[in-house]
Amino acid sequence: MDDKVSIFRKYRNILVAVILFVTADALVIGINFYNTYRSDESGVSINLSGRQRMLSQRTTKVLLTLNEALNNDDESIIKANVKELSLAVGLFDTTLEGFRDGKIVTGGDMKPVFLVKVNTEKSVDFVKNTYGIWDFYKRLLKGLYVPLPEGYIPVAGGKKVGEVTDDEIMESVRFIKSNPERLYAAALYAQRNNLKILGFMNDLTTDLEFVNNERAAKLRIVLVAGIIFAVMNFGYTVVVSIRDLMKTDAELAKARGETVEILSTVREGLFLLDKEKKIGTQFSESLPVILRRDIQPGSNFLTHLEAIAPKNIYESAVDYIELLLGDRVKEALVASLNPLTNVPVIATDVLGSAQTRYLSFFFNRVLQDDVISHLLVTVQDVTDKVVLSQQVEQAKNLAKTEIETLLRLASGDFASLQQFIAATGESLAQINEKLSVPHDDVRERLHTLNYIMRVVHGIKGEAAVLGIDVLESYAHECEKEMVTMRESGDSLSGDQMLRIAVLLEGFYQRHSSLAQVVSRLGDALGKTQPQSAAETGASTHPFVGHVSSLAERIATDNGKQIEISCQFEKLFSLPSHVVQELQGISVQLVRNAVTHGIETPQERASRNKPQSGALCLWCEYLGNGQYDFTVRDDGRGIVPARLREHFVKNGTLSASEASTLNDNEIANRLFMPGVSTAQTANKDAGHGIGLDAVLEKVNKMGWHLLVKSRANRYTEFHIQFNTTS
Amino acid sequence: MNNNIDEKDILTFVDAVSGFFFQVTQEKVEIKAAYLTEGGMVPSTYDLTSYITLSGDYVGRIYFSAPRSMVAHLLMAMGEQNRLEDRLLDATGEIANTISGNARKHFGETMEVSVPTTQATDANWLKSVVPPHSYVILVKWKQYRASVVVDIQRVV
Repeated sequence: MDDKVSIFRKYRNILVAVILFVTADALVIGINFYNTYRSDESGVSINLSGRQRMLSQRTTKVLLTLNEALNNDDESIIKANVKELSLAVGLFDTTLEGFRDGKIVTGGDMKPVFLVKVNTEKSVDFVKNTYGIWDFYKRLLKGLYVPLPEGYIPVAGGKKVGEVTDDEIMESVRFIKSNPERLYAAALYAQRNNLKILGFMNDLTTDLEFVNNERAAKLRIVLVAGIIFAVMNFGYTVVVSIRDLMKTDAELAKARGETVEILSTVREGLFLLDKEKKIGTQFSESLPVILRRDIQPGSNFLTHLEAIAPKNIYESAVDYIELLLGDRVKEALVASLNPLTNVPVIATDVLGSAQTRYLSFFFNRVLQDDVISHLLVTVQDVTDKVVLSQQVEQAKNLAKTEIETLLRLASGDFASLQQFIAATGESLAQINEKLSVPHDDVRERLHTLNYIMRVVHGIKGEAAVLGIDVLESYAHECEKEMVTMRESGDSLSGDQMLRIAVLLEGFYQRHSSLAQVVSRLGDALGKTQPQSAAETGASTHPFVGHVSSLAERIATDNGKQIEISCQFEKLFSLPSHVVQELQGISVQLVRNAVTHGIETPQERASRNKPQSGALCLWCEYLGNGQYDFTVRDDGRGIVPARLREHFVKNGTLSASEASTLNDNEIANRLFMPGVSTAQTANKDAGHGIGLDAVLEKVNKMGWHLLVKSRANRYTEFHIQFNTTS
Repeated sequence: MNNNIDEKDILTFVDAVSGFFFQVTQEKVEIKAAYLTEGGMVPSTYDLTSYITLSGDYVGRIYFSAPRSMVAHLLMAMGEQNRLEDRLLDATGEIANTISGNARKHFGETMEVSVPTTQATDANWLKSVVPPHSYVILVKWKQYRASVVVDIQRVV
């Protein structure tokens, strides 16, 4: 309603001008039409008054001819002139009645026409004076001609004036022959009064012409006035329209200028997204800079997003944007689901160097008439903010390291800590060595990345066992970044390998801080060499406690319950490097068992299982230097059919590939880099690194890995090795 | 050693080298490896090395080391006939100068940067002057390899 009022106000002047123009035109046309109609009537009157003069003359002439024919007794001439007299008298008489009363008469073309009653004083007098002569004249003529029926009015197709039968003519001929004095009297009267009648009819014609001329003059004045008004109105319309258009243009230019100023000044990327996910025609200058992409108006936003965002985030974002463009959910309710906050993106600078940056996208619905028309998208480069928070977190973690170390020392597990520091130092050196090898293609870089991810995953696991959160969390953050890099696949660049070097430096810093604290506190406590369980006097090896704590922590974090048992009597008698490798492997397998194998209490209850899952680790001597190290859980088991379905669903395999692989081949996929059955990734699972790392360690040691499983019953990982070989 | 610098800072120096080559030959250099001078790893030294010394909010050195053949090829691409040792050293110094310009732009005018020092170097020279935890970035241009070594730290 308000919009309609506003539009009316905006175009009021033009609207008034148009209404005036139409009204004036209608008026002029109406007047013109009326005058034209009246001119037609005047034309008829002038023509017929002229005809009256001719009829008066003709009547006189016929009477004189009749008189002569009677004298000569020429009946044929008499008959012809009776007929002509009937026509002349009939026309004159009916036309004179028309002038007096206004009626349908016979026109010049002998067709019916309406003759308007004369209305000027002069004309009325002329008609009245004519009647003063004609009434007597007509009485004298009675019997000499064939009269028209009483009240005769000509109609199309009806009897015409002068249309007489021979019998009627013969009756008048007989009357004339028997009453010659009447003919003589009428001829005499005609000779005496014809000029008078001619005069009156002449005056009538002149008066009618005068009236008609006056009307034509008025019409001209009206037409000229109408044209002048139309021109003035046109001028007014033009002036008002131009003024309004200029005003509107100025307002639009101002608004456009302000919009351009905002879009060129604002630091955020701003644009409108339509229902086809296309970017609007106007967007802020910062947008291409922030996205590091050439943005064209109307280009598809999802194409840009797919090119820069990790695959899983991109897929979530597609669903989220679809949700926002629909009207089924309230905007505020889904705001917290926005997957596009602090998104790590890989972008290249002008020289083609790849950089990891963090972007946040915010979406607001734009409504038109309560219908969602667009999304207003705001993009922010939050790299500095994220990096700063990471640095703050890093500083906090470094401080935490000292506290954790103190706690570890207080728990008396100094030996494990020292072993961990030494092993981690070696792992970091291995990573650095790998990084120093020049890579010429993406395949080599991916290979190195997978190797580094396995090593980092190992550090993460061992840090988790010892409860050194600062390294576990950092390893997890590194893993997340490296997963993003791995997902970039074919575009994995040398610049990203530099990022890994920077991450490695972060590892070195944390490792160095930890090592310094351990060394300093160790010196203070007189503990300089790693000590064995026997030396510490502990009844069980600390690793048992650590791995139990880790399993329980992961179970709690994932809403599960477990009971863990370890039989490691044979394990700790093995060489220390073997023990160390098996510890590393067991950490990965325990993580795997708790996150993937053991079910939630509800799921277990539905399968008539105890609420707590059983997790057993044991090391068994098989004889002849042969050992079997086993990790067993009584969970879901590895079910090829489920795996097949999962791999197809998450795109690891196509449907045809999945159908051609046998059950063993499907199960073997679990050991490939980047393959996971977790729905979502978290600190404990989902990056597809754990089993890949286990297999790599087993292969490196020349051991054998055997997997046994039954659906919904158990899964066993057997590591078999010989210490004598 | 490299406290508080990240890959963006390091890329500033690599991009400077890349930009130099791109401007002259329309061909960028590519990063082939990046590692730390840690755990027994040493920086790769080539025949000619130039470096700049930074002071201010950041202190340390940035080195660029390349084989003679690579610099000679670069001069040839620039249309230079003179490819004697002095000119090769000058060209290596020009690359360090470009690094210097990018460093000023990236870190701000408060950073002081020395004029480039250029010298012929043997295979162990960088190992002897570069401390642990410095970044070594191996780059490739055509068939040649060169190294950019970043040994800086923030002091404020």
